Amino acid sequence: MSLIYSSGNLLRVEDMSLFHDAPTGRRTLTVATSLQLERGGSLAIVGESGSGKSLTAKAIAGLLPPGVRLSGSIRLEGEELTGLAERDWQRIRGRRISMLLQDPFTMMNPVMRCGAHIEEMLRDQPEFRSRSARRAEVARRLAEVGINDASVADRLPFQLSGGMCQRVALAAALARDPEILIADEPSTALDVTTQAEIMRLLNRAQAERGMALILITHDLRLAFSACERVCVFYAGQMIEVGAAPALAAAPFHPYTTGLLLSEPPASRRVSTLVAIPGRVPPADAVENECPFSDRCRWVVDAKCRTTRPPLVERTPARFTACVRQPEIQGELDALRTAALEAANEPEPVTPENGALVHVAGLCKSFGGKRPMHALKGVSLSVGRGECLGLVGESGSGKTTLGRCLVGLETPTSGQIVIEGIPSADFEALARNERARVRQTIQMIFQDPYATLNPKHSVGRALEESLRMSQRTGRTQDHVRTLLSEVGLTEAYAGRYPSELSGGERQRVAIARSLAVDPAVLVCDEPVSALDVSVQAQVLNLFKSLMASRELSLLFITHDLAVVRQIADRICVIYLGEIVEEGPCQQVLNDPQHPYTRRLISAIPAPAH
Amino acid sequence: MPCQGRWSGSTGISGRPPVPSAVLRLVLVRLAQAVPLLVAITFAVFALVYLAPGDPVRALLGARASTPETVAAIRDRYNLDDPFVVQYLKWLWQVLHGDLGRSIVGNRKVLNVILERMGLSLVLAGISSLIVLLVGIGLGALAALRRGGWIDRGSVTLGVVGISSPAFVTGIFLLYVFGVVLDWFPVYGAGDGVLDRLWHLTLPALALAFSVMAIVVKITRAAMIEALSKDYVTFARARGLSSRRILFNYVLRNALIPVTTAAGLVVVGLVAGSIYVEATFALPGLGTLTVDAVSKRDIPLIQGTALVFSVFVVVANLVIDVLYTLIDPRIRYGGSKS
Amino acid sequence: MTAIGAVPAVKRRRRGFRLPIPVALACLVMAVVTACAIFGSALALKDPYEQRLDVAVSSPSAEFPAGTDTLGRDILSRVIYGASNALIGPLVIAAGAFAMATVLGLLAGYLGGWVDTIIMRWVDFMFGLPSTLITIVVVGVVGGGYWTAVFVLLVLFVAPDTRIVRSAVLEQRPRTYIDAARTLGISRTRIIFIHILPNILPIVLAYVAIDFAFALVNLAGLSFLGLGVEPGTPDWGRMLSENRNLIASNPPGILLPAAMIILTAVSMNLIGDWVFERFTK
Repeated sequence: MSLIYSSGNLLRVEDMSLFHDAPTGRRTLTVATSLQLERGGSLAIVGESGSGKSLTAKAIAGLLPPGVRLSGSIRLEGEELTGLAERDWQRIRGRRISMLLQDPFTMMNPVMRCGAHIEEMLRDQPEFRSRSARRAEVARRLAEVGINDASVADRLPFQLSGGMCQRVALAAALARDPEILIADEPSTALDVTTQAEIMRLLNRAQAERGMALILITHDLRLAFSACERVCVFYAGQMIEVGAAPALAAAPFHPYTTGLLLSEPPASRRVSTLVAIPGRVPPADAVENECPFSDRCRWVVDAKCRTTRPPLVERTPARFTACVRQPEIQGELDALRTAALEAANEPEPVTPENGALVHVAGLCKSFGGKRPMHALKGVSLSVGRGECLGLVGESGSGKTTLGRCLVGLETPTSGQIVIEGIPSADFEALARNERARVRQTIQMIFQDPYATLNPKHSVGRALEESLRMSQRTGRTQDHVRTLLSEVGLTEAYAGRYPSELSGGERQRVAIARSLAVDPAVLVCDEPVSALDVSVQAQVLNLFKSLMASRELSLLFITHDLAVVRQIADRICVIYLGEIVEEGPCQQVLNDPQHPYTRRLISAIPAPAH
Repeated sequence: MPCQGRWSGSTGISGRPPVPSAVLRLVLVRLAQAVPLLVAITFAVFALVYLAPGDPVRALLGARASTPETVAAIRDRYNLDDPFVVQYLKWLWQVLHGDLGRSIVGNRKVLNVILERMGLSLVLAGISSLIVLLVGIGLGALAALRRGGWIDRGSVTLGVVGISSPAFVTGIFLLYVFGVVLDWFPVYGAGDGVLDRLWHLTLPALALAFSVMAIVVKITRAAMIEALSKDYVTFARARGLSSRRILFNYVLRNALIPVTTAAGLVVVGLVAGSIYVEATFALPGLGTLTVDAVSKRDIPLIQGTALVFSVFVVVANLVIDVLYTLIDPRIRYGGSKS
Repeated sequence: MTAIGAVPAVKRRRRGFRLPIPVALACLVMAVVTACAIFGSALALKDPYEQRLDVAVSSPSAEFPAGTDTLGRDILSRVIYGASNALIGPLVIAAGAFAMATVLGLLAGYLGGWVDTIIMRWVDFMFGLPSTLITIVVVGVVGGGYWTAVFVLLVLFVAPDTRIVRSAVLEQRPRTYIDAARTLGISRTRIIFIHILPNILPIVLAYVAIDFAFALVNLAGLSFLGLGVEPGTPDWGRMLSENRNLIASNPPGILLPAAMIILTAVSMNLIGDWVFERFTK
C-alpha cells in the first residue's frame, strides 16, 4: 500500500505492524500502519485508549517497550530506522526525532534540577563547552517556552507546577533542534487553561523552526485545531486519514462520524448525545474484519466481515477503511447535518421546589502549620430535580466540596444542610439522622478503576448497598432492576470489576449509589476518565436517570462542553471561591468573570 | 486516556526555595529520635542484672564464693542498696566514663576485654561490607540491565538462596568445600600477621557477606527495574542522551535511594551474622565473646557487649538516615520522602 | 439509552493455577518436612536419643544412612525428629506475629491520626534495636530454651510485619471504593475487615511464608549457639554445633541438617515470593 501526499517526504512509515510476544503467544497490537510526514508538516494521530496510537508514536522514536516487536519499515529521509542499534538511535533521537510525553512530573528526573535537563542536551556541542555559555543558553531556551524567571533552572521538578514542568520538558525536547517532534498527549495531564498554553507553544515552536510535528491525542477537536492532517486509529488500525478541515467537515468513516457526534459540543446543548454503543475491541480480535463492524449500524456481513478492509483513497488525499463509504456517505453526512441542525435543547426551567442541599460559608483547610485553604466560604444550593454544575480546575476545591457534602471530609467552618438536617459535622449526627443523610445524598467518583472493590462481585457490591437502604422485597429482584436501570444485563451480577470496561464500572458504581434511592448524586468528574464514545453513553444515562427518578445532581467537572450538556445552573469555582453563578447557558454564552472567560477561551476551536 | 486536571495551577512556582538548614534540622531531629532509643537500650542492658533468674547479687557473683566481703563489694559497686532508678543513673554515669565493670570470669576490666576482641570483628565486618556493597549492588544492577538473561536468573536464585542461608550454615558449607575437601583455607582460628589473618578471614567474610549480599542484590535489582521503567528514562532516551549518562544520572541515581534505605538492614544483618560466623569459625571476636559471656552468665560482660553492639547499630542507622537525606535532594529542598 | 449488555463481555482472564516448577518442588519439600514433623516417630528407623559408643562417628552405611555422631546416635533419625522443631516454632512465630501485625497495621493504616502515630513510633523504635542480639541475650540470661526463643522472636517480628501490613493498607486507602463504602454508611469494622482485608490478604500470606523462613533461620541460629534447646535435643541448629567436629570424619552428620535448614527456608521463601507475584500484581 502506498500513500503519497507529496514528494520529498521526511518520514515514511510503511506497512508497520506491532506485535507483543508473550509466553502465551503472539498478540497483534497494531496492523499495517502507513504514514508520511513532510518537513515542517503536522500530523495528528487520534484514537481512544487501546487504539495503538501511543505505541505507534513510540515505534517511530525507536522506544518500543521490551517484548513489543515491529514489522514493516520506517524511513527517515530514506534511512531505514527499524532494526537500528541503540547507539545509532542516539544519533537520531534528540537531533532529528524528539519526543514529549504526557505526564510532566514523571517525565522529569525527580532528583535533577530543571535546568540540567536542558543543559545535558547541549554538552556535546562545541559552542557550549564552557559552563557559562551553557547556562546562558539554558536561560534562552527557557525564555523560548515562556519562562523568563531564570531561577527555574535551579529548581527540582517537584517544586514546579505541572504547566511549568511541561514547558521545561518541551525546552529539553527541543534543545537539540529536532526535525520532528512527537508529542504524546502533551496537554492531557494539564488543566484546561494550561492545555491551551502548551498547545500554543507547541504550534509556535513548530512554525518558527519549520519543525514537523506528530501529535498523539484522544481529542479530535484538539487534533483539528493543531494539525494539518489527521489520522484516526481504531483498535490498532488506521481507519481514516485526511486533511483536518476536510475530515472535520465530512468524515468518511462511521467511527469518525460517531466519535465526532459523541463529543459533546461546547457551544450548544443537545437533548441526547449520539453515543456509539459497545466498546473498543482488542486489536487481535478483529484482525480479519472491519474492526468497527460490531458497533457499526451500516455493517453488511458479506462486505465488512470477510477481510480486513484496506485504507483506500476515495477523493484526493482522503483515505478511509470503510468499504461501504461510497454507499453510506450520504447517510453519514445527513447524520452530521441533523446533529448540527438539531434544535438546541430548550433552556431548562429550574424547578422551584426548595433546596435539597444548602451550603453556606463553607470553609475547609488542610494541614497544620502551613494550612492549605481548599474552600474559602462557598455558598450554594441544589434544588429538587435540578442539576447544578460545579466547574473548576484542579486545586479549585471542587472535589473537597463534594466530599464535604457526603461526609467524607469535615469542613473547618460553615453550614451544610441536607434535607433539613444540618450535617456539616457529620460524625456528630445522631445515628438515624446520619442514615437519613446517607440515603439522601450519594457520590459517584472519578476513577472507574478504583471505585469498585476488586474482590467483590458486582452482585455482592449491590447487595451490600441494598442492605443499607429501606427497600423491602427480594434482593435479587432489586439487583436485576438496578442493573437494567443503568443499562446492564442481569449477567453482570456475577462478574468482577476486572472483567468490566471503564464505562461498565462507572455504571455499576451508579447502580450502587442508586440502591439507597438517593435524592441527590454528587458526581465528581464521573466521565473524565472515560473515552469519548463511552462518555456520551454515561452522560445520556445521567440525563435519563434525572428524568426517571427526579434525581438532583451536583455535577463536578472541569469540562465546559460536558457541563453544558447536563447542567441547569452552574457555579464556577476558582481557588476555593465561587466566582460566577447563574443559569448554565447564560454563564457559558455570556461569561462575566475574567476567570470564566479564560476557561471558555481555552476550549480548542470548534471542529466545524 | 483523558484524565484531565491532575496538576494544579497554570503558571507560578509552587514549593519553597532551597533551605540549607533543612539538612541540619533533619540531622537534629534524627539525633533527638536516637536519644530515647539509647536510653531504652542502656536501661534494658542495666536491667539484665534483675532479669536473670535469682538474686542480682548471686547473678553478679557468678561462680565466685559468696563471702560477706564479696557480697558487700558487689552491693557497693552496683549500688544495690539505692532505689532502682538511682542505681541505673549511677551505673550509666560509670558507663559514660568508660567503666563497664569487671568480668566475673577472669575478673578483668570489661572494657579491656571488649577492646581486645573488637579489632577482629571490625576487620571481618569491613571486608564483608565491601563484598556486600560492591558485589551486591553490581550484581543487582547488572541483573536489572540484562533482565531475563542468565545473570538475572542467577542473581534471582542467589537472592532466594542467600536470604534463606544464615551465616552459620553458609559457613559450614564453605568450610566443608574449601577447608576440608579442597583444603585451601584453614578451618579454625584467626591467624597471626596481616596476610595470615586475611587468609584466615576469607571464608568467614564470605559466609558473613553471603546472606546480607542477597538482600542488597534483591533490592538493587528491584529498584533498578523500577527506575528503568520510568517515564523519565523513556524521555531521556527520546532526547538522544548517551546510554552512559542515562545509566548513571537517571537510573542509578534514582535506584540508589531505595538501596540506601536498605543499608540499615545491611548493618543489622552484619552485626547478627558476625556473631554466628565467629562461632562457626571459632574466631576470637566480639561475637564469640558475647556468646561465651551469655553461656557463662557473665552479666557484666554481657552488659558490655550488648551495649557496644546496640550503640553501634543505633549510630549506624543515624548515619544512614543522614546519608539518605543527602542523596535525595527532594528532602533537602523541603519536599517529602516519596 | 443504549444497552451495552448486548456486547459480550470479554471473557474473564483465566489465570491458570499452574505452579512453576521451583514452587512445586518447594511445596514438595514442605510436604516432606511436615510429614516428618507429624509422623517422625513412625518414619525414623532409630531412636534419635539412643547412644551407641561402639558405632560412634561411623560413615554412612546401610544401618545408618547418614552415619552417626560422636555419641553414636543415628543422624538421619535425628534429622527426621528435628523437623518438628523446625516447623512448629516458625509457624507459631510467623502466624502469631502476623495475626497481631494485621490488626495493628489495619488500625494504623485505616484510622490514621494518633493511633497511627503511636503504633508507628513503636515500630520505628523496634526497628532501631539489634534484634538478634536481644534474642541471644534474653534467651541466654532468662533461660527457658525453645519456647522463650519462640516468644521473643514473635514479639520482635510484630514490628516489621506491622509496617508491611500498614503500607499495604495505605495503598488501598486512597482508592475510592473505600470512600464509596463510607458514603453508603457501611460500618468501619466492615470496611476494615470485609473491604480492605481481602485486598491485602495475599500480601499478608506471602509475608507469613517469608517470615516463616526467617524465623526458622533465627531459631536454628539460637540452637546453634547452644541457646534455644536443651543439649542433645534432635534439632537441626543444635546438630550443627554438636557435630561441628564431624566435618572431616563424617560430613553428612553436619551437612544434612545444614542442607535441611537451607532447603526448608528456600522453599518457604519461594512459596512466599510466588504468592506475592501471583496474587498481588
